Amino acid sequence: MLRLILILLSTLLLWAVSAQINHALAPWRLYVFVGALAVTLPALTFSLRTGLLASFLGGLLFDAVAPVTFGTHAFLFALTHAVVFNLRDRLPRDDTLSRVLIALFANLGLFLVFSFSQVARSPAPASLWPRLFADLACSQILLALIAPWFFAIQARALALTDHEANRFA
Amino acid sequence: MPKRYDQARPFLTLGFVVAAWLVIPTVFKTFTRASFFELTAPVGVAASYARDLQEYWTLRLHSNGELIEAGRDLARLNASYDLAVQQNIEMQGEIARLEGILRLPSYTGFRSEHARVVRRDFSGWWQRLTIRKGKNYNLNVGAPVVFSGGVVGRVSEVFAYTATVDLISSQTVRLAAVVEGDTRPISYQGGLNPTFGSAGGVIEFVPLDIFASANSTKRLVTSGLGGVFPPGLTIGSVIKVEPSTDGLFKSGEVKLDERLAALTEVTVLLTIETP
Repeated sequence: MLRLILILLSTLLLWAVSAQINHALAPWRLYVFVGALAVTLPALTFSLRTGLLASFLGGLLFDAVAPVTFGTHAFLFALTHAVVFNLRDRLPRDDTLSRVLIALFANLGLFLVFSFSQVARSPAPASLWPRLFADLACSQILLALIAPWFFAIQARALALTDHEANRFA
Repeated sequence: MPKRYDQARPFLTLGFVVAAWLVIPTVFKTFTRASFFELTAPVGVAASYARDLQEYWTLRLHSNGELIEAGRDLARLNASYDLAVQQNIEMQGEIARLEGILRLPSYTGFRSEHARVVRRDFSGWWQRLTIRKGKNYNLNVGAPVVFSGGVVGRVSEVFAYTATVDLISSQTVRLAAVVEGDTRPISYQGGLNPTFGSAGGVIEFVPLDIFASANSTKRLVTSGLGGVFPPGLTIGSVIKVEPSTDGLFKSGEVKLDERLAALTEVTVLLTIETP
């Protein structure tokens, strides 16, 4: 339970950081989305039930501040979690670089699926895609930059509750 | 468990979670959403207060000479506003007199509620602002939000001490507009938000005799229809109109004010309840 709360708090921190970056980027009409970071570590290290719950609740946190049907992010985060969890035994997952690469692919998938779910509401969907691709590029760059820091924070927080600290590091 | 089913276990669990989520009552979801929002609200509000403090200390660095100059400019501005207020009172009296003579329904009255911007959330998917006033100032959903350049958007959600505003550049905002000097209503919808460029929107049902281009723009203002926005507020500039596929009307593009992306304070218009 404590590990779940710690992961949720780290997701809140991630949301706060990305919200402040987006606030600053707004005059340039740029936006970053790094939701996959909230899913990666639980999917790679947690048991299925705890990890899925952490990802789902993290998604609800993103849903609460977005004008989408409540549960959209939660479902997408849980789906990403299930995919990464299914593949984790076949992926190198102990070093930071591998985790960053997994997070990058997960974020790419999440961003594109979410975009397809939202683009239909636009009066000019075709004109929306150049903007979305620019946002995606920024998001991926930011994710690659902050992922090692974020994973380290999560690992340090989880190490407080677990004697096997190396499991998350 | 056989390996084949073992691999499907994450997806079966996910299916179970989704099925459970779908049958949860809406009341529970609404409560959960509000709870999660209120969990995040202090983060944004604290950051906005920190920005205000930063701005305060930056302003403290101004010299006395600069302050005297600013005070003098402000005094001149106040004098012209005083004159405008007097004219406004006189005109309101005239309107009331004419309404009485012609037995017309009176215009909706508004009171202004100024609010600081906590967070700007301008993605390709939506454009929203979070402001630092909510139920504690009796804000209500649907209230129009304006700034010195015209329409900002409308309040979409109200929470305990914050509220969210859907910007007119957001694809979720649609309103009735008119070209300045014309009375025929046009449908406006936001949704054009290019990177590094000005936000915009699209207009539909434009009469065939209205022409506009990037070199000869037309001012688009609120029509007052629907009763949400007062009439005559600037929405943006019509930069393009072309015949629509049905040939009965034109459709076009509107360029919005560039300051929309950097707002730090807005005004919410709240309807004055008439006894």
